[in-house]
Amino acid sequence: MSGTLLTLRDVSLGYDSRVVLEHLSLAIEYGECLALVGPNGAGKTTLLRGILGLIPVLAGQIEYGFDRSTSPPGYVPQRDTLDPIFPLTVFEVVLMGTYGRLALLQPVGRRQRQLAAHCLEQVGLADLANRPFWALSGGQKQRVLIARALAVEPTLLLLDEPTAGVDPGAATAIMGLIAQLHRDQGLTVVLVSHHLRLVRSLVHSVVWVEDGCASKGATEVMLAPERIMELFGPLRGIE
Amino acid sequence: MNTLVEMLSPGFLLREALIGSVLVGCLCPLVGVYFVLRRMIFLGVALPQLSAAGIALAFLLYRMLVGQHQHFMPSERWLAMLGSLSCTCVGLLVLAALARHRETVEARIGITYAIAAAATLLFLAMDPAAEAHMVNLLKGDILATTGPSLSLMAGVFGAVACLLMVFRKEFLLVSFDRDLAVVFGKQAGLWDGLLYLMIGITISLGVMTAGPIVTFGFLVIPPLTARIITRRMLTFSLTAAGLGTSTAFAGFYCAYHFDLPLGPAEVALASLVLAIVAITRGLSRIVQRWQAA
Repeated sequence: MSGTLLTLRDVSLGYDSRVVLEHLSLAIEYGECLALVGPNGAGKTTLLRGILGLIPVLAGQIEYGFDRSTSPPGYVPQRDTLDPIFPLTVFEVVLMGTYGRLALLQPVGRRQRQLAAHCLEQVGLADLANRPFWALSGGQKQRVLIARALAVEPTLLLLDEPTAGVDPGAATAIMGLIAQLHRDQGLTVVLVSHHLRLVRSLVHSVVWVEDGCASKGATEVMLAPERIMELFGPLRGIE
Repeated sequence: MNTLVEMLSPGFLLREALIGSVLVGCLCPLVGVYFVLRRMIFLGVALPQLSAAGIALAFLLYRMLVGQHQHFMPSERWLAMLGSLSCTCVGLLVLAALARHRETVEARIGITYAIAAAATLLFLAMDPAAEAHMVNLLKGDILATTGPSLSLMAGVFGAVACLLMVFRKEFLLVSFDRDLAVVFGKQAGLWDGLLYLMIGITISLGVMTAGPIVTFGFLVIPPLTARIITRRMLTFSLTAAGLGTSTAFAGFYCAYHFDLPLGPAEVALASLVLAIVAITRGLSRIVQRWQAA
Protein backbone atom coordinates (compact mmCIF):
# COMPACT_ATOMS: atom_id res chain seq x y z
CA MET A 1 0.00 0.00 0.00
CA SER A 2 1.33 3.46 -0.84
CA GLY A 3 0.18 7.06 -0.66
CA THR A 4 -0.71 9.36 2.18
CA LEU A 5 -2.07 7.76 5.34
CA LEU A 6 -2.65 10.89 7.37
CA THR A 7 -2.70 14.59 6.56
CA LEU A 8 -2.80 17.50 8.99
CA ARG A 9 -3.92 20.76 7.36
CA ASP A 10 -3.32 23.93 9.34
CA VAL A 11 -4.24 22.11 12.55
CA SER A 12 -4.33 23.70 16.01
CA LEU A 13 -4.46 21.45 19.07
CA GLY A 14 -4.78 22.10 22.78
CA TYR A 15 -6.76 21.51 25.94
CA ASP A 16 -10.00 23.35 26.69
CA SER A 17 -9.35 26.69 25.02
CA ARG A 18 -5.57 26.69 25.60
CA VAL A 19 -3.73 26.24 22.31
CA VAL A 20 -0.57 24.11 22.58
CA LEU A 21 0.25 23.62 18.90
CA GLU A 22 -0.75 25.94 16.05
CA HIS A 23 -0.92 25.81 12.26
CA LEU A 24 0.51 22.32 11.88
CA SER A 25 0.62 20.98 8.36
CA LEU A 26 2.26 17.65 7.66
CA ALA A 27 1.61 14.34 5.98
CA ILE A 28 2.44 10.78 7.01
CA GLU A 29 2.88 8.21 4.25
CA TYR A 30 1.89 4.54 4.33
CA GLY A 31 4.73 2.41 5.67
CA GLU A 32 6.56 5.38 7.16
CA CYS A 33 8.31 5.11 10.50
CA LEU A 34 8.27 8.48 12.22
CA ALA A 35 9.20 9.90 15.61
CA LEU A 36 7.81 12.93 17.39
CA VAL A 37 10.66 14.49 19.33
CA GLY A 38 11.33 17.72 21.13
CA PRO A 39 11.86 19.19 24.59
CA ASN A 40 9.63 18.30 27.58
CA GLY A 41 6.27 20.04 27.46
CA ALA A 42 6.66 21.00 23.81
CA GLY A 43 3.45 19.21 22.80
CA LYS A 44 4.59 15.85 21.42
CA THR A 45 1.95 13.89 23.33
CA THR A 46 -0.62 16.57 22.45
CA LEU A 47 0.10 15.97 18.77
CA LEU A 48 -0.17 12.21 19.24
CA ARG A 49 -3.47 12.60 21.12
CA GLY A 50 -4.74 14.89 18.40
CA ILE A 51 -3.94 12.30 15.71
CA LEU A 52 -5.72 9.66 17.82
CA GLY A 53 -8.80 11.85 18.17
CA LEU A 54 -8.46 11.99 21.96
CA ILE A 55 -8.51 15.78 22.00
CA PRO A 56 -10.58 17.99 19.73
CA VAL A 57 -9.00 19.75 16.79
CA LEU A 58 -9.33 23.46 17.63
CA ALA A 59 -8.75 24.58 14.05
CA GLY A 60 -7.85 23.02 10.72
CA GLN A 61 -8.44 19.44 9.65
CA ILE A 62 -6.98 15.97 10.09
CA GLU A 63 -7.68 13.66 7.13
CA TYR A 64 -7.27 9.91 7.56
CA GLY A 65 -6.49 7.70 4.59
CA PHE A 66 -8.31 4.79 6.24
CA ASP A 67 -11.68 4.23 7.85
CA ARG A 68 -11.14 4.79 11.54
CA SER A 69 -14.48 3.25 12.54
CA THR A 70 -13.76 -0.13 10.92
CA SER A 71 -9.97 -0.08 11.22
CA PRO A 72 -8.92 1.87 14.30
CA PRO A 73 -5.25 2.66 14.86
CA GLY A 74 -3.19 0.64 17.32
CA TYR A 75 -2.34 2.72 20.36
CA VAL A 76 0.30 2.07 23.02
CA PRO A 77 -0.21 4.50 25.92
CA GLN A 78 2.33 5.34 28.58
CA ARG A 79 1.90 2.39 30.92
CA ASP A 80 1.80 4.63 34.01
CA THR A 81 -1.61 5.87 32.87
CA LEU A 82 -3.09 2.42 33.59
CA ASP A 83 -4.27 1.62 37.11
CA PRO A 84 -2.78 -1.49 38.79
CA ILE A 85 -5.97 -2.02 40.81
CA PHE A 86 -7.52 -3.89 37.87
CA PRO A 87 -7.11 -7.67 38.23
CA LEU A 88 -6.05 -8.58 34.72
CA THR A 89 -3.89 -11.29 33.26
CA VAL A 90 -1.53 -10.60 30.39
CA PHE A 91 -3.92 -12.39 28.01
CA GLU A 92 -6.91 -10.31 29.15
CA VAL A 93 -4.98 -7.10 28.48
CA VAL A 94 -4.05 -8.23 24.96
CA LEU A 95 -7.59 -9.45 24.29
CA MET A 96 -8.81 -5.91 24.95
CA GLY A 97 -7.17 -4.92 21.66
CA THR A 98 -9.67 -7.06 19.75
CA TYR A 99 -12.63 -5.10 21.17
CA GLY A 100 -11.96 -2.37 18.60
CA ARG A 101 -13.36 -4.44 15.76
CA LEU A 102 -16.18 -6.09 17.71
CA ALA A 103 -19.72 -4.83 17.21
CA LEU A 104 -22.00 -4.02 20.12
CA LEU A 105 -23.24 -7.25 21.74
CA GLN A 106 -20.72 -9.29 19.72
CA PRO A 107 -18.97 -11.55 22.21
CA VAL A 108 -15.28 -12.32 22.24
CA GLY A 109 -14.95 -15.54 20.28
CA ARG A 110 -12.36 -18.07 19.22
CA ARG A 111 -10.99 -15.82 16.46
CA GLN A 112 -10.30 -13.00 18.91
CA ARG A 113 -8.62 -15.38 21.37
CA GLN A 114 -6.43 -16.85 18.64
CA LEU A 115 -5.50 -13.36 17.45
CA ALA A 116 -4.59 -12.27 20.98
CA ALA A 117 -2.48 -15.40 21.46
CA HIS A 118 -0.73 -14.77 18.13
CA CYS A 119 0.03 -11.13 19.03
CA LEU A 120 1.44 -12.22 22.35
CA GLU A 121 3.63 -14.68 20.50
CA GLN A 122 4.85 -11.92 18.17
CA VAL A 123 6.17 -9.91 21.12
CA GLY A 124 7.77 -13.03 22.62
CA LEU A 125 5.61 -13.33 25.72
CA ALA A 126 3.33 -16.28 24.89
CA ASP A 127 4.48 -18.16 27.97
CA LEU A 128 3.37 -15.34 30.26
CA ALA A 129 -0.26 -15.29 29.06
CA ASN A 130 -1.74 -16.32 32.40
CA ARG A 131 0.52 -14.19 34.59
CA PRO A 132 -0.99 -11.12 36.30
CA PHE A 133 -0.18 -8.09 34.11
CA TRP A 134 1.03 -6.05 37.07
CA ALA A 135 3.55 -8.72 38.11
CA LEU A 136 5.60 -8.12 34.94
CA SER A 137 8.65 -5.91 34.60
CA GLY A 138 8.35 -2.49 32.93
CA GLY A 139 9.76 -3.76 29.64
CA GLN A 140 7.47 -6.80 29.62
CA LYS A 141 4.42 -4.63 30.32
CA GLN A 142 5.37 -2.44 27.40
CA ARG A 143 5.61 -5.48 25.13
CA VAL A 144 2.17 -6.61 26.30
CA LEU A 145 0.76 -3.19 25.44
CA ILE A 146 2.37 -3.44 21.99
CA ALA A 147 0.74 -6.87 21.60
CA ARG A 148 -2.59 -5.29 22.57
CA ALA A 149 -2.11 -2.63 19.89
CA LEU A 150 -1.30 -5.36 17.33
CA ALA A 151 -4.52 -7.18 18.26
CA VAL A 152 -6.36 -4.21 16.75
CA GLU A 153 -4.90 -5.36 13.38
CA PRO A 154 -3.94 -1.78 12.67
CA THR A 155 -2.58 0.02 9.65
CA LEU A 156 -1.17 2.72 11.88
CA LEU A 157 0.61 2.08 15.17
CA LEU A 158 1.04 4.99 17.59
CA LEU A 159 3.24 4.69 20.67
CA ASP A 160 3.57 7.22 23.46
CA GLU A 161 7.02 7.02 25.08
CA PRO A 162 7.36 3.22 24.64
CA THR A 163 10.75 3.17 26.36
CA ALA A 164 9.98 5.49 29.29
CA GLY A 165 10.93 4.05 32.67
CA VAL A 166 12.51 0.84 31.37
CA ASP A 167 16.16 -0.14 31.70
CA PRO A 168 18.49 0.49 28.73
CA GLY A 169 18.58 -3.15 27.68
CA ALA A 170 14.80 -3.42 27.63
CA ALA A 171 14.54 -0.07 25.80
CA THR A 172 16.81 -1.34 23.04
CA ALA A 173 14.81 -4.57 22.82
CA ILE A 174 11.51 -2.67 22.57
CA MET A 175 12.85 -0.45 19.80
CA GLY A 176 14.11 -3.58 18.05
CA LEU A 177 10.64 -5.12 18.30
CA ILE A 178 9.03 -1.96 16.84
CA ALA A 179 11.57 -1.99 13.98
CA GLN A 180 10.81 -5.65 13.30
CA LEU A 181 7.02 -5.06 13.27
CA HIS A 182 7.49 -2.12 10.93
CA ARG A 183 9.72 -4.12 8.62
CA ASP A 184 7.84 -7.44 8.61
CA GLN A 185 4.25 -6.20 8.67
CA GLY A 186 4.66 -2.92 6.81
CA LEU A 187 3.04 -1.06 9.69
CA THR A 188 3.11 2.72 9.66
CA VAL A 189 4.65 3.70 12.99
CA VAL A 190 4.44 7.02 14.84
CA LEU A 191 6.16 7.18 18.21
CA VAL A 192 6.95 9.77 20.83
CA SER A 193 10.35 9.28 22.40
CA HIS A 194 13.10 10.99 24.35
CA HIS A 195 15.66 8.34 23.46
CA LEU A 196 17.22 10.17 20.52
CA ARG A 197 19.99 7.61 20.03
CA LEU A 198 17.49 4.74 19.76
CA VAL A 199 15.12 6.76 17.60
CA ARG A 200 17.88 7.74 15.19
CA SER A 201 18.54 4.12 14.29
CA LEU A 202 14.83 3.27 13.91
CA VAL A 203 12.88 5.98 12.08
CA HIS A 204 12.93 7.40 8.56
CA SER A 205 11.68 10.81 9.50
CA VAL A 206 11.30 13.03 12.49
CA VAL A 207 8.74 15.65 13.47
CA TRP A 208 10.45 18.19 15.69
CA VAL A 209 7.95 19.77 18.08
CA GLU A 210 8.90 22.99 19.86
CA ASP A 211 7.41 26.39 20.72
CA GLY A 212 3.93 25.48 19.50
CA CYS A 213 5.18 24.48 16.05
CA ALA A 214 6.22 21.25 14.37
CA SER A 215 8.52 20.64 11.45
CA LYS A 216 9.17 17.38 9.65
CA GLY A 217 12.35 16.22 8.01
CA ALA A 218 14.60 13.26 7.34
CA THR A 219 16.10 11.66 10.45
CA GLU A 220 19.71 12.31 9.47
CA VAL A 221 18.95 16.01 9.10
CA MET A 222 16.62 16.52 12.07
CA LEU A 223 18.74 14.47 14.48
CA ALA A 224 22.16 15.41 13.17
CA PRO A 225 24.58 15.37 16.13
CA GLU A 226 25.53 19.04 15.69
CA ARG A 227 21.85 20.05 15.71
CA ILE A 228 21.18 18.05 18.89
CA MET A 229 24.26 19.57 20.56
CA GLU A 230 23.00 23.01 19.67
CA LEU A 231 19.50 22.36 21.03
CA PHE A 232 20.19 20.34 24.16
CA GLY A 233 23.82 20.86 25.02
CA PRO A 234 26.54 18.23 25.16
CA LEU A 235 24.96 15.93 27.80
CA ARG A 236 21.66 15.28 25.98
CA GLY A 237 23.46 15.36 22.70
CA ILE A 238 25.55 12.38 23.78
CA GLU A 239 22.39 10.47 24.72
CA MET B 1 -29.06 -26.33 62.57
CA ASN B 2 -32.74 -25.93 63.48
CA THR B 3 -32.47 -22.23 62.67
CA LEU B 4 -31.06 -23.01 59.24
CA VAL B 5 -33.82 -25.52 58.51
CA GLU B 6 -36.39 -22.98 59.67
CA MET B 7 -34.88 -20.26 57.44
CA LEU B 8 -34.94 -22.52 54.40
CA SER B 9 -38.50 -23.74 54.91
CA PRO B 10 -41.14 -22.29 52.54
CA GLY B 11 -43.25 -21.01 55.40
CA PHE B 12 -40.44 -19.01 57.04
CA LEU B 13 -41.99 -15.84 58.46
CA LEU B 14 -39.15 -13.58 57.27
CA ARG B 15 -38.75 -15.24 53.88
CA GLU B 16 -39.12 -11.99 51.92
CA ALA B 17 -36.62 -10.26 54.18
CA LEU B 18 -34.15 -13.12 53.74
CA ILE B 19 -34.47 -13.10 49.96
CA GLY B 20 -34.23 -9.29 49.86
CA SER B 21 -31.15 -9.37 52.02
CA VAL B 22 -29.47 -11.97 49.81
CA LEU B 23 -30.37 -10.02 46.65
CA VAL B 24 -28.75 -6.87 48.07
CA GLY B 25 -25.75 -8.98 49.12
CA CYS B 26 -25.44 -10.35 45.58
CA LEU B 27 -25.96 -7.26 43.41
CA CYS B 28 -24.30 -4.51 45.47
CA PRO B 29 -20.86 -6.18 45.15
CA LEU B 30 -21.36 -6.69 41.39
CA VAL B 31 -21.86 -2.95 41.03
CA GLY B 32 -19.33 -2.25 43.76
CA VAL B 33 -16.60 -3.90 41.67
CA TYR B 34 -16.62 -0.74 39.54
CA PHE B 35 -16.58 1.47 42.67
CA VAL B 36 -13.37 -0.23 43.74
CA LEU B 37 -11.78 -0.35 40.28
CA ARG B 38 -12.62 3.27 39.48
CA ARG B 39 -11.42 4.33 42.94
CA MET B 40 -14.84 5.72 43.80
CA ILE B 41 -15.13 4.12 47.25
CA PHE B 42 -15.78 7.43 48.98
CA LEU B 43 -18.62 7.97 46.55
CA GLY B 44 -20.05 4.75 47.96
CA VAL B 45 -20.41 6.48 51.34
CA ALA B 46 -21.97 9.65 49.96
CA LEU B 47 -24.49 8.10 47.55
CA PRO B 48 -26.45 5.93 50.02
CA GLN B 49 -26.66 9.01 52.27
CA LEU B 50 -27.94 11.04 49.31
CA SER B 51 -30.49 8.31 48.69
CA ALA B 52 -31.69 8.57 52.30
CA ALA B 53 -31.94 12.37 51.96
CA GLY B 54 -34.00 11.83 48.80
CA ILE B 55 -36.48 9.64 50.68
CA ALA B 56 -36.88 12.22 53.45
CA LEU B 57 -37.24 15.02 50.88
CA ALA B 58 -39.90 13.10 48.93
CA PHE B 59 -41.98 12.61 52.08
CA LEU B 60 -41.60 16.25 53.07
CA LEU B 61 -42.53 17.57 49.60
CA TYR B 62 -45.52 15.22 49.39
CA ARG B 63 -46.81 16.43 52.76
CA MET B 64 -46.32 20.08 51.77
CA LEU B 65 -47.87 19.78 48.30
CA VAL B 66 -50.47 17.02 48.64
CA GLY B 67 -50.99 16.10 52.24
CA GLN B 68 -50.10 13.39 54.71
CA HIS B 69 -49.24 10.09 53.06
CA GLN B 70 -50.50 6.76 54.31
CA HIS B 71 -48.02 4.60 56.15
CA PHE B 72 -47.51 0.96 55.10
CA MET B 73 -49.26 1.58 51.76
CA PRO B 74 -47.58 0.68 48.44
CA SER B 75 -47.76 4.34 47.42
CA GLU B 76 -45.45 5.21 50.31
CA ARG B 77 -42.80 2.86 48.98
CA TRP B 78 -43.12 4.25 45.46
CA LEU B 79 -42.79 7.77 46.85
CA ALA B 80 -39.66 6.76 48.72
CA MET B 81 -38.32 5.05 45.60
CA LEU B 82 -38.90 8.16 43.50
CA GLY B 83 -37.15 10.42 46.01
CA SER B 84 -34.27 8.02 46.52
CA LEU B 85 -33.65 7.39 42.83
CA SER B 86 -33.92 11.06 41.79
CA CYS B 87 -31.55 12.29 44.48
CA THR B 88 -29.02 9.48 43.93
CA CYS B 89 -28.94 9.85 40.15
CA VAL B 90 -28.74 13.65 40.19
CA GLY B 91 -25.98 13.55 42.81
CA LEU B 92 -24.10 10.84 40.93
CA LEU B 93 -24.29 12.66 37.60
CA VAL B 94 -23.15 15.96 39.14
CA LEU B 95 -20.24 14.29 40.95
CA ALA B 96 -19.32 12.31 37.82
CA ALA B 97 -19.43 15.44 35.66
CA LEU B 98 -17.01 17.14 38.05
CA ALA B 99 -14.81 14.04 38.36
CA ARG B 100 -12.16 15.21 35.91
CA HIS B 101 -11.16 17.96 38.37
CA ARG B 102 -9.41 15.26 40.36
CA GLU B 103 -7.60 17.51 42.81
CA THR B 104 -10.79 18.34 44.72
CA VAL B 105 -12.66 15.07 44.29
CA GLU B 106 -12.40 13.93 47.94
CA ALA B 107 -13.51 17.34 49.16
CA ARG B 108 -16.60 17.26 46.92
CA ILE B 109 -17.57 13.77 48.04
CA GLY B 110 -17.01 14.70 51.70
CA ILE B 111 -19.14 17.80 51.34
CA THR B 112 -21.87 15.79 49.58
CA TYR B 113 -21.91 13.28 52.43
CA ALA B 114 -22.09 15.99 55.10
CA ILE B 115 -24.84 17.91 53.30
CA ALA B 116 -26.84 14.74 52.61
CA ALA B 117 -26.60 13.57 56.23
CA ALA B 118 -27.61 16.98 57.57
CA ALA B 119 -30.41 17.36 55.01
CA THR B 120 -31.86 13.95 55.92
CA LEU B 121 -32.20 14.95 59.57
CA LEU B 122 -33.47 18.43 58.72
CA PHE B 123 -36.13 17.12 56.32
CA LEU B 124 -37.29 14.69 59.00
CA ALA B 125 -37.35 17.41 61.63
CA MET B 126 -39.39 19.67 59.33
CA ASP B 127 -42.01 16.95 58.93
CA PRO B 128 -44.05 16.83 62.13
CA ALA B 129 -45.51 13.52 61.03
CA ALA B 130 -42.09 11.94 60.93
CA GLU B 131 -42.41 8.82 62.96
CA ALA B 132 -40.33 5.86 63.91
CA HIS B 133 -41.63 4.11 60.80
CA MET B 134 -40.06 6.74 58.54
CA VAL B 135 -36.86 6.65 60.48
CA ASN B 136 -36.86 2.88 59.98
CA LEU B 137 -37.39 3.37 56.25
CA LEU B 138 -34.41 5.71 56.14
CA LYS B 139 -32.28 3.27 58.06
CA GLY B 140 -33.53 0.48 55.81
CA ASP B 141 -36.19 -1.71 57.31
CA ILE B 142 -35.42 -5.01 55.67
CA LEU B 143 -37.85 -6.89 57.87
CA ALA B 144 -40.66 -4.84 56.34
CA THR B 145 -39.91 -6.16 52.84
CA THR B 146 -43.11 -7.26 51.14
CA GLY B 147 -43.84 -9.57 48.21
CA PRO B 148 -44.45 -6.80 45.64
CA SER B 149 -41.37 -4.80 46.65
CA LEU B 150 -39.33 -8.00 46.51
CA SER B 151 -40.61 -8.74 43.00
CA LEU B 152 -39.69 -5.23 41.90
CA MET B 153 -36.25 -5.53 43.42
CA ALA B 154 -35.64 -8.97 41.88
CA GLY B 155 -36.70 -7.70 38.45
CA VAL B 156 -34.59 -4.55 38.58
CA PHE B 157 -31.55 -6.27 40.10
CA GLY B 158 -31.85 -9.04 37.48
CA ALA B 159 -31.88 -6.46 34.69
CA VAL B 160 -28.85 -4.66 36.16
CA ALA B 161 -26.93 -7.94 36.53
CA CYS B 162 -27.74 -8.90 32.92
CA LEU B 163 -26.59 -5.51 31.60
CA LEU B 164 -23.36 -5.74 33.61
CA MET B 165 -22.69 -9.17 32.14
CA VAL B 166 -23.70 -8.40 28.53
CA PHE B 167 -21.72 -5.15 28.33
CA ARG B 168 -18.82 -6.20 30.54
CA LYS B 169 -16.24 -5.69 27.78
CA GLU B 170 -17.43 -2.12 27.21
CA PHE B 171 -17.51 -1.32 30.95
CA LEU B 172 -14.05 -2.84 31.41
CA LEU B 173 -12.56 -0.95 28.47
CA VAL B 174 -14.04 2.41 29.49
CA SER B 175 -12.97 1.89 33.11
CA PHE B 176 -9.47 0.52 32.48
CA ASP B 177 -8.33 2.51 29.45
CA ARG B 178 -10.73 5.28 28.54
CA ASP B 179 -8.40 6.62 25.85
CA LEU B 180 -8.35 3.29 24.05
CA ALA B 181 -12.15 3.15 24.23
CA VAL B 182 -12.30 6.57 22.53
CA VAL B 183 -9.77 5.46 19.91
CA PHE B 184 -12.08 2.48 19.22
CA GLY B 185 -14.93 4.90 18.65
CA LYS B 186 -16.84 3.92 21.81
CA GLN B 187 -19.06 6.58 23.32
CA ALA B 188 -17.26 6.62 26.67
CA GLY B 189 -19.65 9.20 28.14
CA LEU B 190 -22.69 7.10 27.29
CA TRP B 191 -21.17 3.97 28.83
CA ASP B 192 -20.28 5.95 31.94
CA GLY B 193 -23.85 7.27 32.05
CA LEU B 194 -25.33 3.76 31.77
CA LEU B 195 -23.00 2.46 34.48
CA TYR B 196 -23.85 5.38 36.78
CA LEU B 197 -27.57 4.89 36.17
CA MET B 198 -27.30 1.23 37.16
CA ILE B 199 -25.27 2.20 40.22
CA GLY B 200 -27.91 4.79 41.15
CA ILE B 201 -30.77 2.30 40.79
CA THR B 202 -28.95 -0.37 42.77
CA ILE B 203 -28.10 2.03 45.59
CA SER B 204 -31.65 3.42 45.72
CA LEU B 205 -33.21 -0.01 45.99
CA GLY B 206 -30.47 -1.18 48.33
CA VAL B 207 -30.96 1.75 50.70
CA MET B 208 -34.73 1.32 50.70
CA THR B 209 -34.40 -2.37 51.42
CA ALA B 210 -31.40 -2.60 53.70
CA GLY B 211 -30.38 0.97 54.57
CA PRO B 212 -27.28 3.07 53.81
CA ILE B 213 -24.86 1.18 56.07
CA VAL B 214 -25.60 -2.24 54.61
CA THR B 215 -25.65 -0.88 51.06
CA PHE B 216 -22.28 0.82 51.45
CA GLY B 217 -20.89 -2.22 53.24
CA PHE B 218 -21.85 -4.59 50.44
CA LEU B 219 -20.79 -2.15 47.72
CA VAL B 220 -17.25 -2.10 49.02
CA ILE B 221 -16.31 -4.94 51.40
CA PRO B 222 -16.92 -8.06 49.23
CA PRO B 223 -15.16 -6.52 46.18
CA LEU B 224 -12.18 -5.58 48.36
CA THR B 225 -12.08 -9.15 49.67
CA ALA B 226 -12.39 -10.60 46.17
CA ARG B 227 -9.63 -8.31 44.88
CA ILE B 228 -7.18 -9.97 47.27
CA ILE B 229 -7.85 -13.50 46.03
CA THR B 230 -8.56 -13.12 42.31
CA ARG B 231 -6.51 -12.07 39.31
CA ARG B 232 -9.03 -12.10 36.47
CA MET B 233 -11.87 -9.67 35.86
CA LEU B 234 -14.66 -12.21 35.52
CA THR B 235 -13.62 -14.24 38.56
CA PHE B 236 -13.23 -10.96 40.48
CA SER B 237 -16.86 -9.97 39.77
CA LEU B 238 -18.27 -13.44 40.40
CA THR B 239 -16.26 -13.94 43.60
CA ALA B 240 -17.38 -10.54 44.92
CA ALA B 241 -21.03 -11.41 44.21
CA GLY B 242 -20.59 -14.87 45.73
CA LEU B 243 -18.97 -13.48 48.88
CA GLY B 244 -21.71 -10.84 49.20
CA THR B 245 -24.47 -13.43 48.77
CA SER B 246 -23.00 -15.88 51.25
CA THR B 247 -22.17 -13.25 53.89
CA ALA B 248 -25.67 -11.77 53.55
CA PHE B 249 -27.17 -15.20 54.14
CA ALA B 250 -24.81 -16.02 56.99
CA GLY B 251 -25.37 -12.57 58.49
CA PHE B 252 -29.11 -13.14 58.39
CA TYR B 253 -28.60 -16.49 60.10
CA CYS B 254 -26.49 -14.92 62.87
CA ALA B 255 -28.94 -12.05 63.36
CA TYR B 256 -31.91 -14.43 63.55
CA HIS B 257 -30.20 -17.02 65.70
CA PHE B 258 -28.54 -14.64 68.17
CA ASP B 259 -31.25 -11.95 68.03
CA LEU B 260 -28.92 -9.27 66.65
CA PRO B 261 -29.75 -6.25 64.48
CA LEU B 262 -29.65 -7.55 60.90
CA GLY B 263 -27.75 -4.84 58.99
CA PRO B 264 -24.84 -4.49 61.42
CA ALA B 265 -24.59 -8.29 61.71
CA GLU B 266 -24.23 -8.64 57.92
CA VAL B 267 -21.66 -5.85 57.60
CA ALA B 268 -19.68 -7.16 60.60
CA LEU B 269 -19.57 -10.63 59.07
CA ALA B 270 -18.45 -9.31 55.67
CA SER B 271 -15.72 -7.30 57.43
CA LEU B 272 -14.64 -10.38 59.37
CA VAL B 273 -14.27 -12.33 56.12
CA LEU B 274 -12.20 -9.45 54.66
CA ALA B 275 -9.95 -9.42 57.75
CA ILE B 276 -9.43 -13.19 57.63
CA VAL B 277 -8.63 -13.17 53.90
CA ALA B 278 -6.27 -10.19 54.21
CA ILE B 279 -4.43 -11.66 57.20
CA THR B 280 -4.16 -15.09 55.55
CA ARG B 281 -2.81 -13.52 52.37
CA GLY B 282 -0.34 -11.41 54.34
CA LEU B 283 0.88 -14.44 56.30
CA SER B 284 1.24 -16.56 53.15
CA ARG B 285 3.38 -13.82 51.57
CA ILE B 286 5.59 -13.68 54.64
CA VAL B 287 6.00 -17.48 54.52
CA GLN B 288 6.78 -17.36 50.78
CA ARG B 289 9.45 -14.69 51.31
CA TRP B 290 10.88 -16.62 54.24
CA GLN B 291 11.05 -19.81 52.16
CA ALA B 292 12.62 -17.92 49.25
CA ALA B 293 15.26 -16.49 51.58
